[in-house]
Amino acid sequence: MSRKYELVYVVSPEAADEQVADLHTQVEAIVQRMSGQIEKTENWGRRKLAYEIGRHKEGTYVLEVINGGGDLMKEIDRRLKVTDLVIRHLVVRVDAEQGVVERTRARRTEVSRRRRVARGLPPDRQPGEGQRGELDDDRDDRFDMGEELR
Amino acid sequence: MNGKKSFGGGGGRGKAAAGQQGKDGQRRPMFRRRKVCKFCSDKIDDINYKDVRMLMPFVPERAKVLPRRISGTCALHQRKLRTAIMRARQLALIPYTTE
Repeated sequence: MSRKYELVYVVSPEAADEQVADLHTQVEAIVQRMSGQIEKTENWGRRKLAYEIGRHKEGTYVLEVINGGGDLMKEIDRRLKVTDLVIRHLVVRVDAEQGVVERTRARRTEVSRRRRVARGLPPDRQPGEGQRGELDDDRDDRFDMGEELR
Repeated sequence: MNGKKSFGGGGGRGKAAAGQQGKDGQRRPMFRRRKVCKFCSDKIDDINYKDVRMLMPFVPERAKVLPRRISGTCALHQRKLRTAIMRARQLALIPYTTE
């Protein structure tokens, strides 16, 4: 049974680039040994931590999207826990959530298409149509809530 | 009891009660923009812990989760938002607190 997981780990800032790459190959080896596969790897590079972890103030973030079973992730989790170079890591199962998101999205487009057809319009939105432009600059007032706090 | 009832009704209604307690005891209608859930209106389905820029508006200065009564977020999205913030905190993307 294959599931999809996201793994993010934070590598100590003292680690050289080769050590980060080495860590990736280690993860890859475990994944391959336990018949999983890595779907995607992203290196976010070095960024500042929101709070100090131990004595570290920044870290290198790496994201891996892995297909595999639960025991595979358990093994990776165990290995990362004992690796001193990794200062923080997080494993999240994403397949169930993604399915829900896709279904709601599909349902929404389906409903809107049906409504548009009922109104005698073509099912898809035409360019330059709609009350407000989707990429207009009025987007930045999305967050203007919570002013009454200050 | 009555006051509590309107509180649960989300954003807009609770404020009308507050408007009645003016300084001079007069009833003054207070108009406030009705709050809508940002995630519903922008049709954002997945609230992801990796997208710090999306989460930051819901994490005010003291790094607490912005309550629903202020942000107007709907229950479903507030729940997802909370999970996302908690995950981002574990990875030190968002602080737990600020000094």
